[in-house]
Amino acid sequence: MPRTTKRSSGPDSQADAIEDLYARGVTDGLPVIPPTLPRVERAIQASGRPADELIALVPPNYGRATVEKIAVNAVMAGCRPEYLPVVIAGVEAMCDEAFDLHGVAATTNFSSPLFIINGPIRKRLDVNCGVGVFGPGWRANATIGRALRLIAVNLGGARPGVISMSTMGHPGRYTYCIGESEEENPWEPLHVEHGFAPGDSTVAAFAGDSPQGIYDHKSRTAKDLLTTIGRSLGVVWHHKATALGDTLVVLSPEHVRTIAGDGWSKKDIQRFLWELLRKPVKELLPGKDGGEGLPESVLAGIPNPETDGTLIAKFRAPEHLKILVAGGTAGRFSAVIPGWTFPNGSNLVIKKIQTPE
Amino acid sequence: MHDGVFFEDQGLPTATVISAEFVKAARAQAEALGARQYQTVVLPHPIQPLTREEVRALADKAIDEVLARLTKG
Amino acid sequence: MPKDDRYLDPTDSVAVPRKTAHRPPSLDGKVITLLDISKPKGNHLLDRIEELLKERAKPKAILRRKKPTFARPAPDELRQQILSESDVVVEALAD
Repeated sequence: MPRTTKRSSGPDSQADAIEDLYARGVTDGLPVIPPTLPRVERAIQASGRPADELIALVPPNYGRATVEKIAVNAVMAGCRPEYLPVVIAGVEAMCDEAFDLHGVAATTNFSSPLFIINGPIRKRLDVNCGVGVFGPGWRANATIGRALRLIAVNLGGARPGVISMSTMGHPGRYTYCIGESEEENPWEPLHVEHGFAPGDSTVAAFAGDSPQGIYDHKSRTAKDLLTTIGRSLGVVWHHKATALGDTLVVLSPEHVRTIAGDGWSKKDIQRFLWELLRKPVKELLPGKDGGEGLPESVLAGIPNPETDGTLIAKFRAPEHLKILVAGGTAGRFSAVIPGWTFPNGSNLVIKKIQTPE
Repeated sequence: MHDGVFFEDQGLPTATVISAEFVKAARAQAEALGARQYQTVVLPHPIQPLTREEVRALADKAIDEVLARLTKG
Repeated sequence: MPKDDRYLDPTDSVAVPRKTAHRPPSLDGKVITLLDISKPKGNHLLDRIEELLKERAKPKAILRRKKPTFARPAPDELRQQILSESDVVVEALAD
């Protein structure tokens, strides 16, 4: 067979560097861009910050995420220099106490930080918010998420099988970064709902499992559609799990039009889903319909669990159901992303992206 | 591990009880915190599906090692 | 020039060496804190360890303390409390 791929006659030092970096255990298994000094310096410059500025200590090892260390990892991930401010805000978000990266990084659960970008920067950096939003094809999504994963490993110590003990892991641990489709969102976008101005650009960190798909082609009303979505949410973690916290509901534009067309607000959606997902104690007993069920501490307060009809909610409060709009304009599909959410677990954290003047 | 390494550094002998699946994680964490020499008491994995009595039986097996971790003996 | 000098280090070695505490010859007369890290079953294990410690030594006291969550290091206040009131610690159960 004749070789059809044109061969370069250049030096192979780049390939050697790729092998070295893999051998040192500082990659995600895919080849990385060797973080040479000129590349790293371009990234630092694009951040508009001094190289030695400390952004955060990365749990659980508390490695120092200086602008330079963040830049080294961002270069390795394939980021363009102008992505640096987004990566820096992502580091701030995942290292915030409320996110609990310590637990997320070490847990046996599935969870991985998902980064959600809002605001005008989405357009400037061509962040994908639309078709195939969780999939490949956009450099900003692919490399910003990857950079933050490399930072969690190289500065935080979350090496799989060493500190990171996730039994299954999930594909989002290579990269997990989306934009919100604010243009298809008739309500307040995520960052505005959390107190930021519409003109601010932000990164949210959310500790999530893989997206779980919900198919509904037939519902024509908000109530019908949200009942399908609610019943599908009912199996998050397992069908008898209760007391869950932050959980993401990613609505596609077609589903959004059905819901908003009936005049429902985000608060209406949250309240409806929360109420739908309450179950009587007697349906949540361990050993009945599966070994899982209400914990001993809860059962201790219920005199006659076998007959008690008291409703117990799957989610601790309606506002823990975080509503997001993303995905292609064609297709009646939405997605649920279970969180790492037991009491004192991880909460959604949003940080503003500071871009240089 | 953070707590155990902290107490040891502050002068309190500490026995940290973990399951066998976490030996590597515990060692890596201790090393990352500068406590290469940190020792744990290891129980067989898994523990979560066990009954109260089965868990108590593990304590009976582990008590010698707990005492050894805490004293010069 | 060594190979590694061609690119910058993406990691950070922060570890400062930590000390290991001096061990007493026995637990007689000592205050022992049993720290529950708040994972299920840890309390059952510590209940039995408490009984066994009383059989095998003559501690001055055994204190039971609990972290709010296993998913984070203990809060500073709890750490300081344990430091001030105890001689040795048993922490369980990470699994």
